[in-house]
Amino acid sequence: MKKILELKNIYVGNEEIKILKNINFEVKKGEVLSIVGESGCGKSMTLRTIIKLLPKNIKILKGKILFNELDITEIQDMERIRGKEIGIIFQEPSSYLNPLFTIGNQIEEAIKNEKSKKLCKEKVFKILQEVGLPENVYYLYPHQLSGGMQQRAMIAMAIVNNPFLLLADEPTTALDVTTALGIINLLKNLVATHNLSVIFVTHDISLARFISDTIIVMYAGFIIEKGTSEEIYNQPLHPYTKKLINCLPEKYRKRERILTIEGEVPSLKNLPSGCPFSNRCDFKIDICEKYLPGEIKFENRIVRCFKYGNIVES
Amino acid sequence: MRQYIFKRLIQFIPLLLGMTFISFIIIQIAPGDYFTQLKMNPEISPETIENMKKLFGLDKPIITQYFYWLKNVFSFNLGESFTYHVPVSYLIKIRLKNTLALSIFSIFLTWIISIPLGIFGAVKEGKFIGKFLSFLAYIGISIPSFFLAMLFIFFISKTGFLPLGGTTSLFYENASFFEKFLDYLKHLLVPGLILTLTGIGSLYRLMKNNFLEVLNSPYIFTAYAKGLPEWKIYLKHALRNAINPMITIFGYELSSILSGAGLVEIITGWPGMGRLILEGVLSSDLYLVMASLLIGGILLIIGNLFSDILLAIVDPRIRLR
Ligand SMILES: Nc1ncnc2c1ncn2[C@@H]1O[C@H](COP(=O)(O)OP(=O)(O)OP(=O)(O)O)[C@@H](O)[C@H]1O
Ligand SMILES: [Mg+2]
Repeated sequence: MKKILELKNIYVGNEEIKILKNINFEVKKGEVLSIVGESGCGKSMTLRTIIKLLPKNIKILKGKILFNELDITEIQDMERIRGKEIGIIFQEPSSYLNPLFTIGNQIEEAIKNEKSKKLCKEKVFKILQEVGLPENVYYLYPHQLSGGMQQRAMIAMAIVNNPFLLLADEPTTALDVTTALGIINLLKNLVATHNLSVIFVTHDISLARFISDTIIVMYAGFIIEKGTSEEIYNQPLHPYTKKLINCLPEKYRKRERILTIEGEVPSLKNLPSGCPFSNRCDFKIDICEKYLPGEIKFENRIVRCFKYGNIVES
Repeated sequence: MRQYIFKRLIQFIPLLLGMTFISFIIIQIAPGDYFTQLKMNPEISPETIENMKKLFGLDKPIITQYFYWLKNVFSFNLGESFTYHVPVSYLIKIRLKNTLALSIFSIFLTWIISIPLGIFGAVKEGKFIGKFLSFLAYIGISIPSFFLAMLFIFFISKTGFLPLGGTTSLFYENASFFEKFLDYLKHLLVPGLILTLTGIGSLYRLMKNNFLEVLNSPYIFTAYAKGLPEWKIYLKHALRNAINPMITIFGYELSSILSGAGLVEIITGWPGMGRLILEGVLSSDLYLVMASLLIGGILLIIGNLFSDILLAIVDPRIRLR
């Protein structure tokens, strides 16, 4: 299938901090790709890099982002891509919606290439219906909606221009379980009906397995493992991924207490010269602390660990 | 909404009563009241003094006197000035007009300059022009208004560039309405500009900081992510949110019109309420001070109500609670 997006050798950060390091992945048309990993590992930064909305002090240092064969790192007028070809939704819809404007107004202004007011409005009503919101939401303000409805409104805003790619940054983390399931099902439907590609960021590896075709596991700004969601869930390769899966709540029942991964994530400001996970790893060997493992490829899988071969990151 | 306004008005009544009551008593217990001075004046007979005491109900206990005054206020009689021997309402009418003219002029000018400048400063934050504006604002805030007034007066007395003191020139009587208006405006310019210049700095800084804070909000990120043009993000999404906290400040400025301009009025010789109140307090001119306080209180109510209503209009979270 056709590639929509490809990140090649992406480095993001500044003089002091390297946030993303050698990020490589691709998203195909209609594919759902999840990014999982602990807090601070660079999931949101990856999404923000794709639409080039990084904090002022952070830059793309190296690499290419090919979006429909166009290198985003070289585009100046990102306005024509953002909102039109790539949409984005966030963890807390309540703070990502402007409190002073109606939902209708905020969706309408996102519409590109439509001059007629009347047609714009019709388009908004149509999209509201598609995301499962009643028509009158058009006239309501964000504070008058529940969290789930707000997230639906955000989704409506993000897909109103029928984009190729939807970036979803933990869209269900702030919602209760039933509401979250509603949103997940909505996203799944949209992927099917719009042939939408999605990058779905989450902490929850079982949710990632449920929603996505491919899973990327990030650690301290590196991609440490990549594979299909079944592969990652059933046969994780990287010791970190194994631990992540062992910590899952659905495995609680068999054990006395909840497992956690012991040790601390190293600070991005002074990463060790070796593998960033080496201080918490049960399979650590001498080389792990000396050299950074490079990406080892098995067919479509990627793992960054010396257990599977002696490839050093250059 | 109407119900809300009504409720707010009702809430203000005890505030107004309490404020006037306490002030009434404080003025009365201050040593050296007007009567001691009168009594020491050999030109005034003891009969006149006795008569005045009766007229103002001043031979009764202080608390009774307060209700005496209150009753008069409700029949629109603010009493007489001890010093000028004319009705207080007469004194206040002219002075209030001047103060209102001065305040409205300077508030309007301050806001019309500071708000756009604040937005500009926020957008240019970190750049040379932004730093320069912040530097100017810093100077504006640190220079006391009386010092700026002195500078102005010095400059104008050297150059005769603008009239100074009072509200009218000598030729005033036989001038046309337009000439009169222009003349009044010229006199207003010196105190008006001093007030404006001293006000811009802090208002600029407030607006700039509000705007910067709003630019960091998640919904601004959404606006960028939607691909909106930058001007629209600034002027629609950011401006509306940054202006909201300013409305409260605007109401507060309206409330403090009487005291706000006082110092500059006195220094530049602008015959407004500030000077009248100061003189009134110094000479324990009871009813004059009370009337000024009452007006101050009413302005407080108007200012508060104004900002409440305006906030409700612009903020759906308040309007549609
Ligand atoms: N403006 C900034 N300057 C320097 N470092 C930053 C800046 N913004 C973020 N970071 C760093 O970038 C790293 C990645 O942040 P990111 O928001 O992508 O994490 P995340 O994986 O999305 O975490 P979470 O699950 O908590 O959302 C963090 O460790 C953070 O310290
Ligand atoms: Mg995040």
